[in-house]
Amino acid sequence: MKKIFLSPQLWIIIVILALTASVPFTASAYQTLIFFTFIYISLSAAWNIIGGYGGQISFGHSAFYGLGAYTTAILSLGKLGLPPIHPLLTIPIAGVIATIFAVLIGYPTLRLRGPYFSIATIGVGEATRLIMLNADFTGGASGLNLRIPEDIKSYATQYYYIGLAWMIIVMLVSWAVKRSRFGLGLFAINMDTDAAETLGVNTARSKIMALMLSAFLVGVCGSLYAQQIFYVESNEVFGFRYSIAMVLMATIGGVGTLWGPVLGAIIYFPINDRLSTLKPIELFGQSLELTRLNLLIFGLLLIAIILGEPRGMVGIGERIWRKVRRRS
Amino acid sequence: MPPIEILSLLISAILLAGLYATMSYGLALIYGVMKIVNLSHAGFMMLGAYTAFVLISPVYGIELNPFIPPLIVVPLFFVIGMVLQRFVVRRVVGQPMITSLLLLFGLWLIIQNIAYVVFTADTRTLTIPWLLQPIRFDELRISTNRTVVFAMGALTLLLLQLFMSRTMLGKAIRATATDPDAAALVGVNTARVQMIAFGLGIALAGLAGALMSLVYSFDPDWGRSHLLKSFSIVVLGGLESFIGVALGAIVLALVETFSVPLGVPIALQDLMSFALLVIVLVVMPGGIMGLLQRRT
Amino acid sequence: MILQGHNITKAFGGLQALGGVTFTVEAGEIFGLIGPNGAGKTTLFRVISGVYPLTSGRVVFEGREITNLKAHQVCHLGITSTHQIVRPFAEMTIYDNVRVGASFGRVAHSEAQTHVETERVLEFCKLTPQKNNLAKSLTLAGRKRLEIGRALATSPKILLLDEVVAGLNPTEVSQTMELILQIRASGVTIIMVEHVMKAVMGICDRLMVLNYGKQIAEGKPQEIVKDPLVIEAYLGK
Repeated sequence: MKKIFLSPQLWIIIVILALTASVPFTASAYQTLIFFTFIYISLSAAWNIIGGYGGQISFGHSAFYGLGAYTTAILSLGKLGLPPIHPLLTIPIAGVIATIFAVLIGYPTLRLRGPYFSIATIGVGEATRLIMLNADFTGGASGLNLRIPEDIKSYATQYYYIGLAWMIIVMLVSWAVKRSRFGLGLFAINMDTDAAETLGVNTARSKIMALMLSAFLVGVCGSLYAQQIFYVESNEVFGFRYSIAMVLMATIGGVGTLWGPVLGAIIYFPINDRLSTLKPIELFGQSLELTRLNLLIFGLLLIAIILGEPRGMVGIGERIWRKVRRRS
Repeated sequence: MPPIEILSLLISAILLAGLYATMSYGLALIYGVMKIVNLSHAGFMMLGAYTAFVLISPVYGIELNPFIPPLIVVPLFFVIGMVLQRFVVRRVVGQPMITSLLLLFGLWLIIQNIAYVVFTADTRTLTIPWLLQPIRFDELRISTNRTVVFAMGALTLLLLQLFMSRTMLGKAIRATATDPDAAALVGVNTARVQMIAFGLGIALAGLAGALMSLVYSFDPDWGRSHLLKSFSIVVLGGLESFIGVALGAIVLALVETFSVPLGVPIALQDLMSFALLVIVLVVMPGGIMGLLQRRT
Repeated sequence: MILQGHNITKAFGGLQALGGVTFTVEAGEIFGLIGPNGAGKTTLFRVISGVYPLTSGRVVFEGREITNLKAHQVCHLGITSTHQIVRPFAEMTIYDNVRVGASFGRVAHSEAQTHVETERVLEFCKLTPQKNNLAKSLTLAGRKRLEIGRALATSPKILLLDEVVAGLNPTEVSQTMELILQIRASGVTIIMVEHVMKAVMGICDRLMVLNYGKQIAEGKPQEIVKDPLVIEAYLGK
């Protein structure tokens, strides 16, 4: 334990966190951008628990995100015959609903091997989106509008710190899992499920629990999203886009590592955000639409990472670090 | 329900099955030979559709006859597929399936977003007047474009079956699919076979897209729901043969078509394939063919 | 007797891999399972350890029916198996590989005890110097030792070794045989599938011979070697 308190790594983290915490007072123009970076880091790290540590690549995590967002929307608006609940109180409920859904889909799908599981999750994501799009209580294609508070500035600042706190919690959970016996079991399942099973790992239960944990964390992120955007709509929150984002962030950053998802999110979200505002350009008489350039870049990055450095940015960072140390 | 309606639905289902089968052969071939799930299949279908669009639509001034683009798409995509296999996919052959899955996912992203950049998100439709006029038998109306696609799909199946069973290359492919080590032992150049099979799979994806552009509207996102359906069909059909794929396609088409009069809202029709997929994966991993083989 | 199999049958679709195998294993013995390729030896292992469900028959361990238990449950009761084609957790360190066994095996250790047990097994299998290297850096002999070590860390009462000396040179074979004898000396019953006759004749107390999924002989090595049915199975008529 002593080692952790004195390590330079920890001090760097504390300094960065302190700087980040000061943003609402020092650089408030970037406040919203950074808030959503917190969310994306959390999403990425949460996905990493089942996708990176456990090796079960899910392309359907947007289902948990959307369920979290809708839970908050529905409960805070007082629909379904229930009295309205304060949005902050809906956060744990959002997580729980996502977790329950994880159990429901986990049992049939986690039995499937690798690619079959992944394809099944694409199906789950799409099916959830379709069902919710056509359901009444979700407001269908027009979605649901949450109530916007009056003092938006102090609200935004309050939620900035909630987002920061949540991200720290998610990272702590990720760290704890990685060090734990449970995490060791997940890594073993990732490497070789059958061998892990014969060594006493209850693979079915470990996988489900990893999915449940991942779903809970993602569900809460969805809830926070709803409380910041004040509008939820099925095609958006259940969109394949979020599933892709989670896979990309963790994989580019370094799947299965602790900091990989953080690096991935930091690379992904701001680029995504800025590129989505670009105007089309003219080239060879063709009008080129640039708003999706980011996904093109990330697709290329993904392939480069898989072929070159499977441990992603973290792996590249480690290589550079080793070269630097060899020189000195 | 009056018999004319049932007949009409049945014909719709069969035509749909032809469409679905055509779009699944490429996926089945690649999975059968290389045991990897080609997530970029949807992307190549979409590219095939756009290629046909560029060649047929008056917008670009080329305006070819709708029967010509498939003839262009097949060799073009075959070469693209082989090049991709040789320089990209082959590098992850030894690794766990997840690696190739992610790789092909990345490829899909790239293809999809190149299409976005070039063609924008606008939905494209090919309107060819004579294809949109239905064929009429008394009270029965059969859609012409679907019939054309069905015919071309059936032709493709026939050619594929002949190729796989009569030619040396076809037999080499089947051998590699069944047991790559044994195939290598008897002298099959498995690396080359895999390259050709992948090229063929991509060509089939492009062909499917080019044909389906005559029936569906599409945008760069198009293909994802079809990917799921194709996968359902391949798993349903038992992963081993093209006949199996055709059977799987028939089952899915029948389920989808007849679910509507049975009360399933049209918006949720796509869910049928997903439900079928989950049921098959969990209950009978061998698919229909696996079930049939067990009886003998 | 510590392990009994009653009329074990296993069919894969139309193919019958095991056709009614009955056997008894005594505690503390080294029991050899031999037979031509495809005789069903590995299948029998997989059925015993719970990886494959059996088609009919029973498996009884320490008087307790374990026929339908899952592999991890069988491990918790005390039977752990190794694999014919070694499967280390490649991207994990050798230390962590063994630690998996110690963490999830039959005995529930605290974190400190897990560490102690892992170190003990590493030492026992002569893997300590390399413990912080990744498992994929090992040679074949090292991987086979890791496979054994990992299984040993689960504190098994019965260890199923599947062709654990295949592909090793004579020195390595001797070293492994030595290791197996030491494991038995520590109180573990051993059932081993083996083709290498030196190992079979050298350390097995009793043998069972399988052919085409049926057992054709059972007894001491010296008797088995002279059994005409066994000779016929291996050499043909």
